[in-house]
Amino acid sequence: MGLRIKILSGFLILAAMLLVAGTWSIYELRNIGQSVQHILDDNYHSVNAAKCMTESLERQGSAVLLLMLGKREEGRTILQSAHESFSQALVAAHNNITLPGEQSCIDAIGKAYGEYRALWSQSIVGTGREGDLNWYLSEVHASFLAVKLAVASLMDLNDNAMYTTAYNLEARAHRATMPGIIAIASAFIFSLLFSFLINLYVVTPIISVTQGIRNYLESGKPLNVKVETSDELGRLVSSIQNLISRFQALRDRQ
Amino acid sequence: MRYPIILRYGGIVLLLNGAFLCLAALISLGYGDGGFFPLIYTCLIAVLFGIFPFIFIPPSEEISNKEGFTIVVSGWILSCIIGMVPYLLWGGEFTLSKAWFESVSGFTTTGASILTDIEVLPSGLLFWRASTHWIGGVGIIIFVLSVLPSMGRVGMILYRTEISALATSNFRYRAKKTMQLIMFVYLGLTALQSVFLMICGLNLFDAVTHAFSTISTGGFSPKNASIGHYGSVPVETVTMIFMALSGIHFGLLFIAFSGKPSVFFRSTVIRVYIFMLMAGIILAAVSVQGTVYPAWTDAFRHAAFQVISIGTSTGFATTDTNLWPPFAQLLLIFFMFQCACSGSTTGGIKIDRVVLLWHAFKKRIMKVEHPHAFVKAKIDGVTVDDDVLEATLLFITLFIVISFLSTLALGALGMDNMTAFSASAATLANVGPGFGLVGTAGNFSLIPEPGLLILSINMLLGRLEIFGLLLFFLLKFWK
Repeated sequence: MGLRIKILSGFLILAAMLLVAGTWSIYELRNIGQSVQHILDDNYHSVNAAKCMTESLERQGSAVLLLMLGKREEGRTILQSAHESFSQALVAAHNNITLPGEQSCIDAIGKAYGEYRALWSQSIVGTGREGDLNWYLSEVHASFLAVKLAVASLMDLNDNAMYTTAYNLEARAHRATMPGIIAIASAFIFSLLFSFLINLYVVTPIISVTQGIRNYLESGKPLNVKVETSDELGRLVSSIQNLISRFQALRDRQ
Repeated sequence: MRYPIILRYGGIVLLLNGAFLCLAALISLGYGDGGFFPLIYTCLIAVLFGIFPFIFIPPSEEISNKEGFTIVVSGWILSCIIGMVPYLLWGGEFTLSKAWFESVSGFTTTGASILTDIEVLPSGLLFWRASTHWIGGVGIIIFVLSVLPSMGRVGMILYRTEISALATSNFRYRAKKTMQLIMFVYLGLTALQSVFLMICGLNLFDAVTHAFSTISTGGFSPKNASIGHYGSVPVETVTMIFMALSGIHFGLLFIAFSGKPSVFFRSTVIRVYIFMLMAGIILAAVSVQGTVYPAWTDAFRHAAFQVISIGTSTGFATTDTNLWPPFAQLLLIFFMFQCACSGSTTGGIKIDRVVLLWHAFKKRIMKVEHPHAFVKAKIDGVTVDDDVLEATLLFITLFIVISFLSTLALGALGMDNMTAFSASAATLANVGPGFGLVGTAGNFSLIPEPGLLILSINMLLGRLEIFGLLLFFLLKFWK
């Protein structure tokens, strides 16, 4: 194998290794970026919707209490506006289903909210329900808690997904940096190995040949350089030895 | 010592690793899992460092025994270094010391793992993990059959076979002849077990990875519950048969498969090996019947599997041996120290040395009775030299001393006595699982990082027959 191929092969593999390291790091970094976008797009919107639903629910709870105190106008106004914001949040969550199990969570919220709404939609002021704390605790509050629990499970689902994605980001960051670290270490060791081999199989024979030729010219000592390889250097040494022997033969004849 | 020659052969070792890494990367690509990049990247590193010395340094006709020894030991260390790179790149549970531990455990065919959840690893990495056992197994055989005899070690003394004749030849001839024997027996056993496991219902991937781990007496399984995952008597039976076969001298296996099965019955070591396993199985079964397993069939099934697994230094498991009564646990600890025959991929003290120890004991008794008598120890008609007996006693003593010292070190790191002792013994004997935190149902993840490094040294010491590694690091050796 020629010297050029020998040297090139090492560098080509080193280049391939750096190329893979670079490609991989870019791939992982892109994945990190996408993961962050996923957190924002998928989970954050759902968590936001769940928060909005919880807030609307609490407003509805206060409004029901106002109705029970006989404040019809004030109570109904708050209920209407809270219902609208709850419905908007529910639609937003429904349009952002990205996780397995999220659909059933939203269905459960819809069902529980339907039951809760049926309770406060009926007349309260001026009926037997006005001031009836037992009715409030046994039916309205229980129903309110059921909706709140369903909303909380939607929030938990998305919170967990956000945590998992963030946790995986650490692994991805590790995978993005590690190839670079290993490439640096490998390149360092490779340069030492390369220097050692070049010194042993290229530089040392050249020095030996130079010294041998000098010895021959100065004192007529025969060129006795042993090159183990059969590459260009080996052929060069054998050509020089051939040249010297011919020159010697010519000189002997003269 | 000609260092370029060592570099050239080190390069060949890396290229062999590179080939398996490439295969593992292709498997990952096929399964479409995340293991492709770590594996192909490591493959490139292995090829880079392997091919360069290979093409630069011309081959040498003659390699001295010292050079041969250095090639094998440094090949092992290089393999362990390259073997940890895919784990490091993958990340997850793997820190630097955990990746090193897993790699050393793989190549030394120990089978101790730091992974709490093996099944989350991509298929390619699982294949690489099993491959480290298989590559290490080949290395052990080369080391034991072609390098150690030249250094006047014990192993070959007991065998008047074609293998021991090799010991008188030069390294090159011996290595070539040995490789032929190894490839025949090793590949044959691996292929045969893979086929049998597939017949028992395992898919190709599981069958091959388990065959890799069995024939090399390693113990890595791609399943968290090891062989117990399948809960299948046929799978356990096939694994037991091949574990037991892999504990026998590969030279003897070759001769037996070549049409001379009587060699098994002529060998004292094989007879003792079979007797010990049978006795161990019966004693363990009696101990666990009634206390752990109500039925005798279950008691024998699990006792047989665990005794053969530990007794051949494989380390597969079908049950949690932490739940076994103390007597059964002590029995397994005994097998952990003893293991199987030399010339195989097994670890531990080995039956051969136990037989030699018995003869040394008998000789000493005779000398006490007849102080002026000329007493010779003979095994299978071969006279055993005094220096062989001395080396055996020294090895056993060193084995126990190192176990004790590493137990102390682990104890100082806060490990409980059972965990510290069994982890030390199991790693020094290249068995894998121990008791306590590192039991068959546990793993080595709770061992502190300095402890993992101590146990890694234990594994290498055990695999390189103690003297091998010590000699390698002695300055005098390099002069």
